[in-house]
Amino acid sequence: MIGWEYPPFKAGGLGTHCYGLTRSLADNNINIDFYMPKTKHKAFSDKNNLTIKEIGETNIFPYDRPEDEELKGHFFESVYRYNDLIVEKVKGNYDLIHCHDWLTMKAGIRLKEKLGIPFVLSVHSTEYDRSGWLNPNQWFIDIEKEGMEKADKIIAVSYFTKRVIVEKYGINPNKISVVHNAVYPLGDDDKKNIVLFLGRLTIQKGPEFFLRAAKKVLDYYNDTQFIVAGTGDMLPSLIDKAVDLGISNKVMFTGLLTEDEVKHIYRISSVYIMPSVSEPFGITALEAISAGTPTIVSKTAGVAEAFNNCLKVDFWDIDEMANKIISLLKYDPLHKTISKEGMKEINLFTWDRVANKTIEVYRGVT
Amino acid sequence: MTSVCLYFEVHQPFRLNRFSVFDIGNYQNQSQNYFNNKLNKEIFEKVVRKCYLPTNKLLLDLINKHDGKFRISFSITGTFVEYCEEYMPSVIESFRDLYKTGSVDFIEETYYHSLSSLYDELDEFEEQIKMHQNMMQRVFNYKPKIFRNTEAIYDNRIARKIEDMGFKGIITEGTEKILHWRSPNYLYKSINSDLRVLLRNYNLSDDIGFRFSSHNWNGFPLTADKYANWISNTEGNLINLFMDYETFGEHQWTETGIFDFLEHLPDNILNYNHLDFVTVSEAVERYNPIGDVDVPWAISWADEDRNVSTWLGNDMQIACFNELKNIGNKIKKTGDQNLIETWRRLQTSDHLYYVSTKGLKDGAVHAYFSHYDSPYDGFINYMNILQDLKTKI
Repeated sequence: MIGWEYPPFKAGGLGTHCYGLTRSLADNNINIDFYMPKTKHKAFSDKNNLTIKEIGETNIFPYDRPEDEELKGHFFESVYRYNDLIVEKVKGNYDLIHCHDWLTMKAGIRLKEKLGIPFVLSVHSTEYDRSGWLNPNQWFIDIEKEGMEKADKIIAVSYFTKRVIVEKYGINPNKISVVHNAVYPLGDDDKKNIVLFLGRLTIQKGPEFFLRAAKKVLDYYNDTQFIVAGTGDMLPSLIDKAVDLGISNKVMFTGLLTEDEVKHIYRISSVYIMPSVSEPFGITALEAISAGTPTIVSKTAGVAEAFNNCLKVDFWDIDEMANKIISLLKYDPLHKTISKEGMKEINLFTWDRVANKTIEVYRGVT
Repeated sequence: MTSVCLYFEVHQPFRLNRFSVFDIGNYQNQSQNYFNNKLNKEIFEKVVRKCYLPTNKLLLDLINKHDGKFRISFSITGTFVEYCEEYMPSVIESFRDLYKTGSVDFIEETYYHSLSSLYDELDEFEEQIKMHQNMMQRVFNYKPKIFRNTEAIYDNRIARKIEDMGFKGIITEGTEKILHWRSPNYLYKSINSDLRVLLRNYNLSDDIGFRFSSHNWNGFPLTADKYANWISNTEGNLINLFMDYETFGEHQWTETGIFDFLEHLPDNILNYNHLDFVTVSEAVERYNPIGDVDVPWAISWADEDRNVSTWLGNDMQIACFNELKNIGNKIKKTGDQNLIETWRRLQTSDHLYYVSTKGLKDGAVHAYFSHYDSPYDGFINYMNILQDLKTKI
């Protein structure tokens, strides 16, 4: 299996997914070598049949959006270098190759040819999602399209993403299986009067809608604390925005949090909001719900199609978002019920289920 | 002789507008803003077209054809009659035509299809029954003898009250919870009064209401011939088939063959010499009770649980129910008829039904009948409106 991030280092849901998936696959007696770029934080496995293989020394931050030409050159070059290295290093007796998202696709395609084994591709997001459907970069799209075409089977994280793969990349729907994500439940804690945004501060995740809803809520409930956790290219403009809205004393920007801080903030928040413009799945929603925190997600998010006990809004509908936040803060029975039912439903979203569905896909190609 | 007692429940709620927390305390004329007249009219007209008018016509033809041998009963809520009078009086006319045949009986219930029977005091319950009696008198010039509470909710306290109000019989669910080993296919009486109790045979009723078009049911496809045969082989002297009237053409679409089934049902049943049809009043007159039913905790005909958890099954529902119940006295004291009417329209049980968070099986049924995305949206909307109503007192 080839990925690009794995705990303790991770920037997004892909790392979380690879961690949960590989461990449950290993528990289901699948032998896995997991290849990833070498980072400062050493990833390791405590399972006999799961080996983490860190390759080379690359400086790719996969969610970067290289805007200027010079940076672009470096960026693309290091991506190619990582893929070349992988193709070079991967030797041995594998039954199939499983890749995740665009960064590893080139290697997947070439290894399929080199080793003559089937190639399964998981799609956690597409260039359309990451660009928020504004000016998607053709370079990424071309790589993604080629990978999807060459893959024997594709695993999409939602029906939403499956539709994008079919409609925007012209892929045969019959070779795409949908496997929704999972979570290791965090468990709940006493709630404080906090409304939380947690994610990369990029256009895709819709953080500015969070701030505009915060303004509306604060006009109604002045003593609510809003937290924007995470970092990204929009951080400076969001801080300006909070000042413009006159709510900078009620909004805290935490920057990047450690894993323990993330868990803590999920547990003590009263409301979690994921107002993504385009969200293939949204594992953070499952994490928040598993911490007993009522969650509001974009109607189009992948998690919204799979999960019942959460609230759903159009990401642009600030009034409705504020209505739901206030209702959760104001009506205790609502907060209690959605928290309780959410934690019950979350038990269905296990990595074991993800592994079993993934194994089904493997069986279809070997 | 075994009698088949067919009764149809006819009801439409006044569904609510989207009402945000920001709307609380912001409007003057509440009834205009609480109720979604456009959606309500649309749904009503759709169901009239698909169910009420075609089914009424079919039943009228069947009654005429069988010369008084095909007999049925209806219970019609006050809110439904308001819909008819507002949007389509001809629907009322078609019910009158049915009534004039002499083969149709009417049943009493609360005007607003409410849960007022579960309040601490039963005065509001009584008032809503009297409102319904007045409506029946006005529209059909008839005084029903049999009572059906909202979704057949029943307990000993309700039975006592209903007997005190002069009714001869009451309808509820033939559930094992109260029958244990006994059969629902007989007349019973309440343990603490002389009130007769008609028990729904839920297997045979749900064969039509729920399973009729279900392909993975081993009774599928259900023909009138097959169904009559089942009934002819059922022991007992009174088989109560109670269901929502909207079963015909709305829950079960025309394409399922539900109208063909209904058309051939009377013939097929009357082909058996030991079977006939009775109305609810006739059932109570003709048969003697064979035992008592003792129901200390409320039962109903709703969901798999057959209790009141459909409306009071989670904290959100209980909060709304209490909120509504507790402002009753204050609302009545204002003497403001508009306000009281609005409060009562909000008591229609459907509003709480939409807030139910029950599991998959019932949940699917709940979702089918709800215009909200989720029970949580149902709660937010309903609770916001209740908060707004409080600002008006």
